[in-house]
Amino acid sequence: MDFSLNEEHEALRDNARAFLSKEAELSKLLVPGATVAQAGYDGMWNKMVELGWPGIVVPEAYGGLGMTYLDLAMVMGEIGRSLAAAPLFGTLAGAWAVEKAGSEDQKKLLLGEVAAGRLRLALAVTCANGTADGAHSDVKAVQRDGRWVVSGRNAFVVDADAADKIVVLARTKDKGQFFLVDRGDRNVTVDVLEWRDITRQVCAVSYNNVSAEPLSQSDDDTWPWIRDRLYLVLAAESAGGIQKVLADTVEYAKERVAFGKPIGAFQAIKHQLAELAGLDQCATAGVHFAAWALGEGDKRASLAAAMAQSYASAAYRDVTYRNIQVFGAIGFTWEMKNHLYYKRARSNAELLGAPRHQRDQVVRLLEKTPELLSA
Amino acid sequence: MDFNLPGEDDPRRLAVRKWFEANPSPSYAQLAKQGYVVPHWPEPWGLGAEPELQLIIDQEIERAGIVHPMTFNVIAINQCGQSLLTHGTKDQRQKFLPPALACEERWCMLFSEPSGGSDLGNLRTTARRDGDHYIINGQKIWNSMANKSQIGVLIARTDPEAPKHRGLSVFLIDMKTLGVLVRPIVDMTGEEPEYNEVFLTDVKVSADRLLGKEGDGWRIVMEQLQTERMHMTKPGAVWGGGPTARELMSGLIQTGKINDPLIRDEAGKLFVEGELLRLLSLRNLSNRINGKPAGAEGNIGKMLASPHGQNLSDLAKRSQGAAGMVRDRSVLPLPPKEYGLFDNWDYAYWFAPAATLGVGTQEILKNAVAERVLGLPRELDPTASLPFNQAKLVKPKGAN
Repeated sequence: MDFSLNEEHEALRDNARAFLSKEAELSKLLVPGATVAQAGYDGMWNKMVELGWPGIVVPEAYGGLGMTYLDLAMVMGEIGRSLAAAPLFGTLAGAWAVEKAGSEDQKKLLLGEVAAGRLRLALAVTCANGTADGAHSDVKAVQRDGRWVVSGRNAFVVDADAADKIVVLARTKDKGQFFLVDRGDRNVTVDVLEWRDITRQVCAVSYNNVSAEPLSQSDDDTWPWIRDRLYLVLAAESAGGIQKVLADTVEYAKERVAFGKPIGAFQAIKHQLAELAGLDQCATAGVHFAAWALGEGDKRASLAAAMAQSYASAAYRDVTYRNIQVFGAIGFTWEMKNHLYYKRARSNAELLGAPRHQRDQVVRLLEKTPELLSA
Repeated sequence: MDFNLPGEDDPRRLAVRKWFEANPSPSYAQLAKQGYVVPHWPEPWGLGAEPELQLIIDQEIERAGIVHPMTFNVIAINQCGQSLLTHGTKDQRQKFLPPALACEERWCMLFSEPSGGSDLGNLRTTARRDGDHYIINGQKIWNSMANKSQIGVLIARTDPEAPKHRGLSVFLIDMKTLGVLVRPIVDMTGEEPEYNEVFLTDVKVSADRLLGKEGDGWRIVMEQLQTERMHMTKPGAVWGGGPTARELMSGLIQTGKINDPLIRDEAGKLFVEGELLRLLSLRNLSNRINGKPAGAEGNIGKMLASPHGQNLSDLAKRSQGAAGMVRDRSVLPLPPKEYGLFDNWDYAYWFAPAATLGVGTQEILKNAVAERVLGLPRELDPTASLPFNQAKLVKPKGAN
């Protein structure tokens, strides 16, 4: 039993922080009119590849680093903290789909390429109405002359434009199944959306009779398995962002003077900040528990992942909103980074469903498995 | 990192369980003699146990169906007893600790006064040295269990000319001493009184009842309050104790109330919060295993736990509609378990407003978190540096 981070986790976190504080650059995004095109996706990706981050949780057998989900949470926390923009979310999501649903040959080939930084992926599971439940899809897959083709449309696909291949959830005659398509296929159309969080590329993707390679081991467990891991990624990002935004807010409250004293001396401000400190502690604890539980295959893993995501994304919204209020009107301007965090927070609470959806999952799990109430 | 608690087959657990099998209904005195009441204390009181063994022993006490001695005598066992190890004399330890740990003598805290609970340093009870005695005069209030206690841990002013926080001292007094009058306060729950007023009139206390040195009082009670707040970083309905969100969820599922979509969402939210509080309390434990010093995190814990507990009993009540307004202890079922004082949602609910008042109001806690965890500027107290007997005369700015 040990509920604290060990020195290796702390060292990994500190190294990632040192690297990103040097390399992650928000200034181009703070020019009015900036879009995700200025976020520096490619440059940051190349630097992450040098560190081996695309393969951080790819098993060693497939050429990855084979590190733990706790290690991943350390890195994702720092990415959330710095808002470093790169197609890592999409690549992780796609790689997990291959790991869970791919054949042995597909895993050997594709995961090796991911780990080497030569293959960027995206995962397309969201319907036009925002549903992402692994069962519904607006994409259909049919077999023609023994080959699969897919047609239809996905909304809100993270990193699709930056990807080399897209993993898409499509309906066959009788079930949902995952397929691989080439981003460069002329029958694939990717529209980069004017997503409000300009540190993340989010796209709509259309397929018009695109030839597709099935991930042969897809089953009903595939999506929940991937989703739990994506919950961890977003929650870790959010918790990292919370820590950074809280620190920024505290620093500002100590420096900004009004009525002859730092505004942080007023209870109206300091009590708000105390509440944010509580959110920070809880969000981080939830992320660590989820990362551990997923890594161990603990029976609480799905519960822990849904708890972490519901709490961290809601808390991140509260912290970033308060941050703007404490900064005052200057925090409302485009040239300050406050809004980048606020928009990231809001978007993290929508990309995989809202916090109340994850809370509903929590209750469902407890109804189905009452033993979890005493674990 | 490893979130598994010590397992069923842990050899330390097997050894403890074996003792409980040999001693199926031990008295508190037997538990104390075995070192199971305060395992983390050094011998002879405890076992010098590391936190994991402490956790195992607590779990095995619960498994044996025994109300934990802490529930009966929390002020001695958790908050104040430890002060005797750090500040007490050998004679004080020998005299006070054995009956306290055996639960033969209950302790109460005599801290707050009508002149101020949040501004505790403003207390006016005096202890005047008179030969080998002190003569104590004043009034205390909100003293939990004072009507059932044999020993009172009292803070009083020994030096009225020192600044308010420096002229204070702590005494261990017999509650049956002549001049000590205890009057229970009927609180808004209408249940058996928890709190009391204590009037002290020319109470003669031997000088060997002084804990630590004269003037150490503020430091000692602040340590005790930190220990108390740390203890409250738990997910129970009142001050960390009583039923948790797990039992609330269980009751809502059992009664079908969980199918109301609004209750469902609130219950989900509270369940998540409760589990995170549980993780925080375990992390505090781990930090001690790993030798990290206990810091100001107890303040964050209580700041989170008190409103969380209030929200638990609030949802338990609201899920019942008008039926919840009837005095009925069984209105929302609880799984069978030892819950301590708050063993039903009705009492927990009507007691709940006190959770953000006692052991530091929510506002005092937020100040402590902001100042001691986040490093924000401290509240200014214009009376803090003046001799107490002059500070009393300082009028607030703007007052007539």
